[in-house]
Amino acid sequence: MSVASGSTEFGLAGPRWGRSPSSGDMLALRVVATVRVAAAIAIAAFGSYLGHRHGHQAALLLLIGLVGVPWATVVMLNSDGTDNRLARLGGPVGDLLMLFAVQTLVPSAAETVLLGYLVVVAFTAYTAGRAFATLIVVGAVAAALGGNIITPESTHLHTSAILPFLIALVALLSLVDRTTLLQARATTTSARLQTRADTIVAHVADAVVVTDSTGSVLQCNAAAAERVIGPAGAPGSLHCQGFLGLHRGERSLDCTSGCALLRERVDGDFGLEVWRRNADGRRQPLLADAAQVVGVDGRSEVIHSLRDISGIKQAEEAKTLFLATASHELKTPLTVITGFASTLIRYTDLDEGTRKDALQAIHARAQELTRIVERLLLSSRIEAGRLEVTLEDVDVVPLLQDRALAFAAAMARTVDTDIAAGLPHAYANGHAVVTVVDHLIDNAAKYSPGGEVIVVRAYGDDERIRIAVTDHGIGMDPEQAEHCFERFWQAEATDVRRFGGTGIGLYIVQSMVEAMGGTIAVESAKGAGSTFTVTLLTSAAVLSGIPRQGGAGPAVGESTSIREFMRQIGVPERGRR
Amino acid sequence: MMTFSVATVNIVLGLVYSCYGVMTILDLKHGWRERGFSHFGLAWIAMAFTCGPHHLEHGLHAAATGTNAGFLDVAAVVVGFPAGVAWFLLRVEALAGGRGDRFISGTPRWLKVAAALGGIYAFVIAGAIAWTWRNGIDFTPRMTPNVLLLFVYCVIGYYLLRTQLGNREPSGGWSVSGVALSAVFPTCGAMHVLFATYAASGKYVVDPIGLTIDWLAVPAAIYFVWVVRALHRGSVTDWNEGAEGVRPRWALA
Repeated sequence: MSVASGSTEFGLAGPRWGRSPSSGDMLALRVVATVRVAAAIAIAAFGSYLGHRHGHQAALLLLIGLVGVPWATVVMLNSDGTDNRLARLGGPVGDLLMLFAVQTLVPSAAETVLLGYLVVVAFTAYTAGRAFATLIVVGAVAAALGGNIITPESTHLHTSAILPFLIALVALLSLVDRTTLLQARATTTSARLQTRADTIVAHVADAVVVTDSTGSVLQCNAAAAERVIGPAGAPGSLHCQGFLGLHRGERSLDCTSGCALLRERVDGDFGLEVWRRNADGRRQPLLADAAQVVGVDGRSEVIHSLRDISGIKQAEEAKTLFLATASHELKTPLTVITGFASTLIRYTDLDEGTRKDALQAIHARAQELTRIVERLLLSSRIEAGRLEVTLEDVDVVPLLQDRALAFAAAMARTVDTDIAAGLPHAYANGHAVVTVVDHLIDNAAKYSPGGEVIVVRAYGDDERIRIAVTDHGIGMDPEQAEHCFERFWQAEATDVRRFGGTGIGLYIVQSMVEAMGGTIAVESAKGAGSTFTVTLLTSAAVLSGIPRQGGAGPAVGESTSIREFMRQIGVPERGRR
Repeated sequence: MMTFSVATVNIVLGLVYSCYGVMTILDLKHGWRERGFSHFGLAWIAMAFTCGPHHLEHGLHAAATGTNAGFLDVAAVVVGFPAGVAWFLLRVEALAGGRGDRFISGTPRWLKVAAALGGIYAFVIAGAIAWTWRNGIDFTPRMTPNVLLLFVYCVIGYYLLRTQLGNREPSGGWSVSGVALSAVFPTCGAMHVLFATYAASGKYVVDPIGLTIDWLAVPAAIYFVWVVRALHRGSVTDWNEGAEGVRPRWALA
């Protein structure tokens, strides 16, 4: 079994309904055009060995060689592609003229030429349509009769040859016209149906799997199948039991005696919630539905649709977690603000020092609330794709030193800096770098509750600079490190209680770093702390990567002669299909 | 002296183009697994193995029979010789892991002079052909392939020249490899038409071996033009399909 890809292909063994409307005509056109060139070359070449130096035969050979071959070549060059009018119309006209030349220059071959006219008419009717074929018929008749005027009387075509020729022309035209008309109708209808079905199936986000009545997988749409089913549904598992491996609750769906989904679905429902194990062994929740149809060959088939609802489930969990986290984060400062405000309202006779302390506490907590709300808003902007940063030449050294000093003063923590001398400038955004560094130091401080030292390092080379923030706090295990940049993620549910935070800080950091064209990585070990390393491109590297206008020569030549010649003759480079 | 020059230069060119055909076969073989079959490669091999034997046969025939070679024949071969050999040497260099191309920054004076001389050369050749025909010619079907090859090679030369002109502005100069190729094809066409002219005037004799090679060259060259056109239209899959290390395109689309 194979899985077809693309928007118009759906099927394991090619399209299900016939061929595309013009594929046969196009092929015929190309084949005939190629044969025409080959025939013209062959005749001209063969004739050139015969030693005709003068006379009608030599003239005919020259005509075929110097006119027929170039014309046939031009027609062939225009026989592929969408605009092939020259091939469809010009080819038969050229053929007609060549045959007329043969008839007049070699009159002894006139009766054979009549057969040639018939072939040209048949081919024209097939590829160029009735109207143009009728013109060619008129041309063929005129040529056949006109030849009689030019050639000597002894070589004239007789009525016994011309009459059958005319009857054959009309019969052939009618027959081919009728056949092509019916073929075109059938092809158009089936192609429309095919395209419609293919487009629908290829563009639905769900996986669509077709099995026969015994559960053998016949078809599936590649793009959705890859997204939903993934490598676990690889070829080899030809039965839906192995290919899909669906479960409902803790029970495996048994398809050995007919489709279990068909049995269990309830009319009117949009599907059943089922699950399967994906490639890494995790449960993948799906919304599944099935319907029975009669296949092209009349046999019963079952169409399954499967929608991956992992994202919906995760979003539900994330929303619940976010509400709990945000409520907790917002509640603490609000409680303090409310408490002090109540005190100030209730006790109007407080001394100036106490009133000032209360107002400072309210101010500090209000600032904390502002920071939380700003993070949430920034996170929303990122999620909505509205984060834009302008990149420029940035000296990160003063920024890092400033932020380290500010945090050390604000949190009464030791924040060391280790910045390499001569660090090149980054191609970044100064505000974004400050936001990133602030979040990383804040994160490091939060997850090293013992007050351990935090280290900010910066180093790099001509192409990249790296900013690493290291703490010696609680650290993370590999699985936690893998997920730490996800939105609303925290290492443990209890982190919300232990350390506070909304779980969006590292998500913001990663988004901003990527917006600057950089990357972020984490090294961590449980109980030994974490190091977050941001890598940014240097300005010099970015500038040298931009194709220069003027003064920059082509890069090193291709190692293969074929590609080098392609380059020099201007063959356009295309993406791999 | 004239005959010796024609024989020598044609034999060298014959060997060069034949070697180039072998080199392209090796390319095709090595790249087959990664990139699949190449129509372009096959067409180019077919051309190399008709051009090479054509020159070899012409050179050997001149050397063996002592044909009284014409001056125009020498002129055509001598003009095409440096371009053909330069292109070949660049490909050998690339095969050995070298750059395989050189870049000429801007348009130096010598290049402008060379282009002007090329134009004058074309006029001179055309005039000389007309002069040769002044006493009448005996044009027979045996000369047909040479005339056809003139047109097909000029079409290929046009494609090459169009690309070089299109590349000049964005790259700020010229590729030696491209310029050499652009010069090779029109001079090959000129050689064929001069051969036909001499044959029609009775100076040369069209022998069956040469005629066969030239007739084989016609479908080979047409196949090549078809491939190039199909690649421009995107109706053929070939080695221009996305690959690693793709460089910016400067070619005319």
